[in-house]
Amino acid sequence: MKRIVVLFSLAFLFLAANAQKYMTRNGFIGFNSHTAVEDIKADNNQVASVLDIATGEIVFQVLIKSFHFEKALMEEHFNENYMESEKFPKSTFRGKITNLSAIDFSKEGKYDVVVEGDLNIHDVTNKVSAKGNLEVISGGINANSKFSIVPEDYKINIPGVVRDNIAKNLEVTVSMKYLPVENK
Amino acid sequence: MKLPVKIALGVVFFLALAGILAALYLYNKQHKDLQKVKPDYVITASELQKEFESDESGSTAKYVNRIIEVSGIIGSVKRGEQNIVSVTLKTESDFSVVICTFPPATDPEKLVTGKNVTIRGECSGFLMDVLLNNCAVVK
Repeated sequence: MKRIVVLFSLAFLFLAANAQKYMTRNGFIGFNSHTAVEDIKADNNQVASVLDIATGEIVFQVLIKSFHFEKALMEEHFNENYMESEKFPKSTFRGKITNLSAIDFSKEGKYDVVVEGDLNIHDVTNKVSAKGNLEVISGGINANSKFSIVPEDYKINIPGVVRDNIAKNLEVTVSMKYLPVENK
Repeated sequence: MKLPVKIALGVVFFLALAGILAALYLYNKQHKDLQKVKPDYVITASELQKEFESDESGSTAKYVNRIIEVSGIIGSVKRGEQNIVSVTLKTESDFSVVICTFPPATDPEKLVTGKNVTIRGECSGFLMDVLLNNCAVVK
């Protein structure tokens, strides 16, 4: 019996040591809004994200202040009126790849994935699910996804006068280039 | 038309024009060119990172939205989406650095890993690292 316990803990240790994490600190998340009145887009190149290929867990973290708009005034309104970035400076997503077994991380190639989890924006958390793909390349993993969100789902109030200038569904683009985290 | 009415009309017209011009100006307002704006704080990358790590909320209140001139040694130069340049400045921490991201379509020269640099940027806050945006190289 003792031997089995030792064996199990050894196996567990081995697995834990092999559990690899991938990370990026300058990932990209952008969104755009298309209406007849105007097109608005914002980019954030300072996304921090960790992907655990052993468990399929994936976490994203962004600062609202890091979204860059073409027009300074839009950036100001986005931060002050809509996102209230002083009160709620961060937005996070914590989720899991639901089809982890379909991905062979030892073989280079592109794999379709579905990620489900909790998206927190403007201090409101919603369950979301998005399709995307993971590309296993030599020395890293690239991840891409596109999905849409509705500002009102996150209690983001857009005044009536400008509501027609901003799309009901915002298209979000995610692009990450992960590198392995070295164990120290 | 009587003279006072003419004057009143003139004033109304002038105010309307000023209003339209002000709205246009605001709508088209550019991002600040940080090469020309005076910094609110001048600090080293190590000190800045240390302040955020020891007191994140206090430092957020102090630095976010401010213009910071930060100096340090370049740890890496990366190009992200649309070739946007991000530079990391080394700190005393092994894990956490200062990341300076440049505006789109700028290609700052003189950014070589290992070199000393002074960069001005708008502070967005702290995730794993201190993040500066809309950066410009000072020297």
